[in-house]
Amino acid sequence: MTQTPPAIQVTGLVKRYATVTAVGGLDLTISPGEVVALLGPNGAGKSTTIDMLLGLTRPDSGTVQLFGERPGNAVRAGRVGALLQSGGLLPDLTVREIVALTASLHRRHRPVGQVLARAGIADLAKRRVSTLSGGQQQRVRFAVALVGEPDLLVLDEPTTGLDVEARRAFWASIRQESGQGRTVLFATHYLDEADAYADRIVLLRAGTVVADGTASQIKAVATGRTIRATLPGADPAALASLAGVDSVEVRGDAVLLACNNSDAALRSLLSSTDARDIEVTARNLEDAFLALTVGEPA
Amino acid sequence: MNATYLRIEITRLFRNRRALVFSILMPALLLAIFGGLYKNDSLNGAAASAYLMVSMGLFGAMTAAIGSGGTIAVERGIGWNRQLRLTALTPREYATTKVVVALLLALPPLVVTYAIGVLGLGVRLPLHTWLAVAAISWVGALPFAALGLLVGYVAKPDSVQPITGVLYMLLAAFGGIWVPAEQMPDLMRRIAEWTPAYWVGQAARTPLFHTAIQSHAVWSVLAWTAVFALVAVRQFRRATARA
Repeated sequence: MTQTPPAIQVTGLVKRYATVTAVGGLDLTISPGEVVALLGPNGAGKSTTIDMLLGLTRPDSGTVQLFGERPGNAVRAGRVGALLQSGGLLPDLTVREIVALTASLHRRHRPVGQVLARAGIADLAKRRVSTLSGGQQQRVRFAVALVGEPDLLVLDEPTTGLDVEARRAFWASIRQESGQGRTVLFATHYLDEADAYADRIVLLRAGTVVADGTASQIKAVATGRTIRATLPGADPAALASLAGVDSVEVRGDAVLLACNNSDAALRSLLSSTDARDIEVTARNLEDAFLALTVGEPA
Repeated sequence: MNATYLRIEITRLFRNRRALVFSILMPALLLAIFGGLYKNDSLNGAAASAYLMVSMGLFGAMTAAIGSGGTIAVERGIGWNRQLRLTALTPREYATTKVVVALLLALPPLVVTYAIGVLGLGVRLPLHTWLAVAAISWVGALPFAALGLLVGYVAKPDSVQPITGVLYMLLAAFGGIWVPAEQMPDLMRRIAEWTPAYWVGQAARTPLFHTAIQSHAVWSVLAWTAVFALVAVRQFRRATARA
């Protein structure tokens, strides 16, 4: 049996711009059929990584292989479709013209009408691109990405400018595409999108992977719970020294204790202070995201 | 070359008529004014009106061809080139399409100036002279199409219009297109001989004098085309590396 090469294989990827390291030694392997979110705050290196994946930017060091080929070859073979933030559309063409043109520039392509329908823009086919709203243009970009019948779809912030309903429709289309065995990699800074639509989340900070796994695995990385209590005149130092407490935050009469062992912390909190109105909550993905991406890299 | 791409590029020409109109308007106006002034004069044994008509036609073809490359700068600016690089279209096919479009755009000013020549200035030429003049002028737009390509890869979208404007003014003024090189002071004429415009003009007007094209003209035009194309390719590579 021949081994199928990964859809994406990135090793030791580095890109520097003047004094800024946009991507600092990125390793990433994505298997065919996976739906992966590249999650990170602005400036985490998502777009630079995508540019290098597609062969639009040359890395300073490291290698990228798509289906075992160099990015340029995979792109020319029509195995990759991409929706780029900076991908421009010719404003003087109609929606159908621009999709049909892109189709003609690929070695194989899907029927243009089918792709327009999939992207939800069949009714806009005769409109000039310049007359479309940002959200509509984003759907044209999606159609352009789909029309070459790619095995890998790379989407950079795909739902920017879409309203709630359009976002939902967009993700429904993506699900149908991934259901046909396509690999999907999308960059986003919307946590709920990564949580809801990705099989796997790759969390980026300052151009390196800080966490990689399912949404629940990522949440588990930033383990622990938060205790919230009312405690007027609290002594932060004393609270911080309690068993199981990592850090203390005082907000007026309320205290927030970030805990690695909330049970131990709760016992001593109840026995040694007058704390009341106590709530214990597990950290959500947003907390995990902040815990992992805020602050200087180690 | 991709036929759909070429067809859509031609469609775009008709949708953005500004460039088309401008490349016709300038030479047409200049020809109407100066052709009228020197209508009954002759220049080195050819009718001045015919001489001016060929020069102005060439001027229009040249500005159209250079200006056509400006669309590349705009397309780079909006990120359309990045989009194209995600298809199987090769840089060579892209450049070839742009050169073909530039040559097509060079045709209308030739047609219009010749019509003004015939209808307004009473230019009468034997058929073979017409054909020779038109063909040489059109092929002579090639170095300017290559120059447009180069400008398209060097210029920023907001600087591309002034840059092309200065270029074709310099070429027309110093290349003996606006003022016949024969009437230029010696120094100007020597400068003119270093421009592609001068040699294309010389070649395009030779049928009027019933002489053969100087081989120097052919070599000069080919050399300029090669230089512009090579620099354009280098610029393209640099722009690609930076992305």
